Amino acid sequence: MTQHIAQEPYIALKGISKAYNIGGQAVPIFSGLDLCIPHGDFVAVMGPSGSGKSTLLNMLAGIDRPDAGSLRIGASHLDQMGEAARSSWRAHHMGIVFQFYNLLPILTAAENVELPLLLKPLSRRERRIRVERVLDLVGLGGRERQYPGVMSGGQQQRVGIARAIVCDPGLLLCDEPTGDLDRKSADEILEMLCFLNRQLGKTIVMVTHDPQAALHAKRTLHLDKGDFVEERRAA
Amino acid sequence: MLSQLQQTRVMIRANLFSLHRRLAISISMALSVAIVVCVLAGFLAMAKGFETALASAGSSLVAVVLGGGTNQEAGSDIPASVLRTIEATAGDIGAARDPAGNLVSSREIVVPVDVQQGPGGLARTLALRGMEAAGPSIREGITLSQGRFFTPGSREIVGGDRLAGEFGLSAGDTVRLGAVDWMVVGHFSAHGSAFESELWGDLDAVRAAFNRQGQVQSLRLRLSGPDSLKRLQDSLSTMAETPLTALSEAGLYAAQSGRTASLIRSFGWPIALLMAIGATAGALNTMMSSVSDRTVEIATVRALGFSPLSAFIGTWVEAMMLAAIGVILGLAASWIVFNGWQASTIGANNARMAFQLTVSGDVLATSGLLGLAIGILGGALPAIAATRLPITAALRARG
Repeated sequence: MTQHIAQEPYIALKGISKAYNIGGQAVPIFSGLDLCIPHGDFVAVMGPSGSGKSTLLNMLAGIDRPDAGSLRIGASHLDQMGEAARSSWRAHHMGIVFQFYNLLPILTAAENVELPLLLKPLSRRERRIRVERVLDLVGLGGRERQYPGVMSGGQQQRVGIARAIVCDPGLLLCDEPTGDLDRKSADEILEMLCFLNRQLGKTIVMVTHDPQAALHAKRTLHLDKGDFVEERRAA
Repeated sequence: MLSQLQQTRVMIRANLFSLHRRLAISISMALSVAIVVCVLAGFLAMAKGFETALASAGSSLVAVVLGGGTNQEAGSDIPASVLRTIEATAGDIGAARDPAGNLVSSREIVVPVDVQQGPGGLARTLALRGMEAAGPSIREGITLSQGRFFTPGSREIVGGDRLAGEFGLSAGDTVRLGAVDWMVVGHFSAHGSAFESELWGDLDAVRAAFNRQGQVQSLRLRLSGPDSLKRLQDSLSTMAETPLTALSEAGLYAAQSGRTASLIRSFGWPIALLMAIGATAGALNTMMSSVSDRTVEIATVRALGFSPLSAFIGTWVEAMMLAAIGVILGLAASWIVFNGWQASTIGANNARMAFQLTVSGDVLATSGLLGLAIGILGGALPAIAATRLPITAALRARG
């Protein structure tokens, strides 16, 4: 039995259908999409605009729900959960890294990182220790009191990654994490994601347009017109 | 619960600390609330000042007897025969008597007179009250500020402090009232009440100067006790061949002030409410702009797992904070501009009645609550909108 559970994929999408109502017409995005991602995988999702990358990410984040099909992450069936439950699930089981960092400009780096911890029953001291630990991990030790406005894009994205991992989630969802960065900063961020995947065992799903970024993933899935058309595994 | 509080605190902080990004529209919201509060406070202060002036003029221990079926001095007339009957009535009729057994009373008439406000100034209509020697002492709270009271039978007048200051009347001055000159012999304080808007002179001298011989509009009587008015009313109903009305002085002025104050309020409230509706629309616009400005921030924290309630309260608190700033500004402005401001209106005797605008505690509270209501109502819809922002906005918008 234990062996069976261990072999189950960490993320399992079965028969996912999703359509958006645009101008009174239902425009299908997915029709019967299947996807399995094992624990500890690092998957890059590529594809042209309108292929469904963002919709897939939104569903994995519990922001959006499929119209039909089952969506399970770990032991949680997101397709059966209400908005409040999905909101709570996000707070405890996953971290999101945004393309444009999405840091609150009026908060310091440490305060931005602390945000997800406010949803947990932790003392101020416990929160401070965790924040310092993850900021050290992303190479921003000593910059706790800096505001995002005085940081470079790469540094801001590191703060964004620190915020995403501060609750120690099993899953990291990255939406074009290097899309707003120069090549050098982008490589640093990608190395950091590889580190989180290999050393800390985080399962990572990264949406990207950048083939070089995708090379850092263990496998790359190509989406087109709502279906996976190609899969490439890292050498 | 603690987590909810912490989330809300972060949202409030994020809202308030980002105000500089929408400074102009936030200031305009606070100012529009301030103007509404200031205008309403002005009207309420006017009504309050008018009420205070008239309410403090009346005593419950003084009765005013009016004839001719009216309850205002202007249209009242008490025939001499009736007055003689009242004065001749022995026994307890509810009115106080002096040691000699005479009623403590003052027969009075009020004549509107035009008085020039300073050299070359405009003529204003004032009330000249002719009264008997006991007139000033029957009233409560009357004290001489300068000079002396008029001498019976002479063309001498005293004026209220408010008039003396406004018209520059000093003891020794001569004022032409009607066709004859009158000597100002002093002025008196009535603690800011409506009496201070009157000129007082001897009854016979006033009647002679204005060809009102024999006329008496009102009879003021000092009551023998606080409960004596009913006894007086009963006594008058049995003795008079003409309908007489006996009111307490307090009741007479309260009725007058009630009518005028409600008239002021009936103008003030609709104006303030119309302005408040405009200000609420402005607040709505400001807060919608605030939500729009913070779409990514709100969506981001919602994506992190923050509750919709924290987004709601954060937006609502911002609206109420801006309204509160407007309330403080409006109340401060109304206090500075209106409190103690001298105003005047046409009183019951078609004469000018001066009063002082009073920005009292209840005026501040009522105006302030209207201002806060603007924030509460104007912020509610945008706060709801903040909870309904699509979280996907965090993923697609540039922060």
